Amino acid sequence: MLNQVIIDGLAFALPLLVIAIGGIFSEHSGVTNLALEGLLGFGAFSGGLCFTILVQFIPFDSAVAFYVSFIAAALGGATFSLIHALLCIRLQANQVISGVVINIAAMALTGFLTAQLNQSFFSGSSNKFFLSTAPRYTLDLLSGLPILGGLVTNVYPFEIIALLLVVICWFLLYRTRFGLHLRACGDNPQSVDAAGLSVARIRLVAVMISGGLAGVGGICFAYSISTNVSPAIYFGAGFLAIAALIFGNWQIIPTLGACLIFGLARAASFQLVLLLEMDSSIFDLAMIVPYVLVLVLLVFFSKNNRAPKALGQVYDKGQS
Amino acid sequence: MNQASSETKSRSTNWLLRILRYPRTQNLVIAILAVLMALVAISLVIVIIGKNPLTVFVSLLRGSGWLPKPRYASGRSMLTDFLGLLDALTPMIFAAIAVAIAFKAGLFNIGISGQMLTGGFLATVLIGYSQLDAVLAKPLVLLVGALSGAMLALFVGWLKANFNIHEVVSTIMLNYVVQYIVSFFIKGYFIEPVSRQSHTVSVASRLTLVNVQIGAVETRIPLCFLLAVGLAGVFYLILARTRLGYEIRAVGSNRQAAEYSGISSRRTIMLTMALSGAAAGLAGVTYYLGYYNSIMPGDLSSVGFDSIAVALLASANPLACVLSAMLITSLSYGSNYMSSVADVSEYIASLLIGIVLLFSACSGFLKYLVNRNNLAVDQSDDREEPGSTPATGGD
Repeated sequence: MLNQVIIDGLAFALPLLVIAIGGIFSEHSGVTNLALEGLLGFGAFSGGLCFTILVQFIPFDSAVAFYVSFIAAALGGATFSLIHALLCIRLQANQVISGVVINIAAMALTGFLTAQLNQSFFSGSSNKFFLSTAPRYTLDLLSGLPILGGLVTNVYPFEIIALLLVVICWFLLYRTRFGLHLRACGDNPQSVDAAGLSVARIRLVAVMISGGLAGVGGICFAYSISTNVSPAIYFGAGFLAIAALIFGNWQIIPTLGACLIFGLARAASFQLVLLLEMDSSIFDLAMIVPYVLVLVLLVFFSKNNRAPKALGQVYDKGQS
Repeated sequence: MNQASSETKSRSTNWLLRILRYPRTQNLVIAILAVLMALVAISLVIVIIGKNPLTVFVSLLRGSGWLPKPRYASGRSMLTDFLGLLDALTPMIFAAIAVAIAFKAGLFNIGISGQMLTGGFLATVLIGYSQLDAVLAKPLVLLVGALSGAMLALFVGWLKANFNIHEVVSTIMLNYVVQYIVSFFIKGYFIEPVSRQSHTVSVASRLTLVNVQIGAVETRIPLCFLLAVGLAGVFYLILARTRLGYEIRAVGSNRQAAEYSGISSRRTIMLTMALSGAAAGLAGVTYYLGYYNSIMPGDLSSVGFDSIAVALLASANPLACVLSAMLITSLSYGSNYMSSVADVSEYIASLLIGIVLLFSACSGFLKYLVNRNNLAVDQSDDREEPGSTPATGGD
């Protein structure tokens, strides 16, 4: 019971964290990113497409397709995020508008492309790409332990990928020269310019990283929640991630905490419904727990947190 | 020396620039340009999948009642389709002006679908299932819808004003909360076992008259269509002519400056959200108790999201919203017929809307390009449009 909460909670929290870190990269460079929802959807679509194609060629071994689909998802998300970069950095569009527009465009585009590709090439008429069920691993030695056991039981391989990504991203953002430049772009872009670096280029890279990470998060959810890529991928994870990073004050480690709270709360409310053997319609009420929790937590943490100073502003060289 | 060549070059693009620069119609021209570019882009897509764009567009127009279909079922005509379009258009106009007025205050109300569902559900339960007469029921439905939508949006405004919670995040969260709560109540108490939808509302409370015979033709009459257009006019007047409208635009273009000039931005934000939510609630009742007569549990209407496209295309001008709502609704309303006749997926229509949106998001840049050279010539004509670039202070 408690183990199940931890297992399900981690499977939800880690992909969410990857998406939120994508948001942190973009927002630390000064580009508001409300497009995460659309980016993760497009990433999941790219991954699903890649999986469907690969399975046609190597039907006997879906493990290769499984791992390659993560790379495809990252590339797809990064490519789609170029639109956000183009609109926000080059075309000086309002960044909130751009984000909302990209979400709508991504829903329309992935829906259309999935249905069309299925019809034209894969001789199916559905609007879904079916994936294989992801393998799950258990570390037998430790799985008997009370709480630690939950951490090592039924672990999806992408949870390991997610953890690796988190470590790499933390190092990149806080311990490298590039990370310093990136954070400077969000707080004081003029200083970056004065140091002889291109604000536009750094922001472009940051937005692409954020697209790639969102894409990986998207395909993780596609594997864990529904084992297919369908319009149901747009269930608000991108916005939960944004709430998590606001709650985490734009820092990776506190954001990890926020994601864990969301994931565990979601899993716990499900288990509670199961435990009390309530009617299945109660599930609908259990579903609202993470969303309500976000709102309540934001009430307490939104006021005093410190967003990057230049967040949401178009960089203008002439400004002092 | 170079001047002569650049002069001939500029003369060739002169007529286009002159049209684009004319300040009074600039937004309109740019919107039309965005639609045209989207049409070209979608035509390319249609050609790539091996269909003729012209047949697709014609079937779209036929499906939405602008062009006569080659054949009709008995008792139906172009009028049936067109009045059906107006019926679908009514909630869209309400929803679009809801987005527009919030947008003018720099607020992004993307919780329209949640506010619609709240209004629609409460009106369904309180009035739609009652035995009230039509004279009493219909106004009450409108009242309940507007009030409940306004209350939900007011809550978002309150969160924004007091706790600095970005309205995009809070409205999305509330969308899911409302969706699941309504789904819970419908599945638990109001479910129709066969259709898996909520029980249908009483005819007396429904805001659309269905099965009306005009001559030999069977039609439906959307009772609130004129109310929607009228409310668009009222919103336009509020924004352009009243003190509240001035305050909304001031907060939208620069919240700090508005504060310094003595405007309470918190009060303005909450008031604007309430107005926006009221319009969204009206969209909800005209959708769930007009266009439809029941609610599908666990589903948010696409009207709420398409209305963002409508409002952006209209540069958040409530009157222009009526026109752009007409355009976008025609696209989605005709898509059903289009997909059956022209054999392309219905997603083409939503893709078209998405591309229109992408191009209209670039309109700020186009405006900047066009006005850049213009600035030196006559600065007086280059008025700032407060609503087109709302100030958003981060998340």
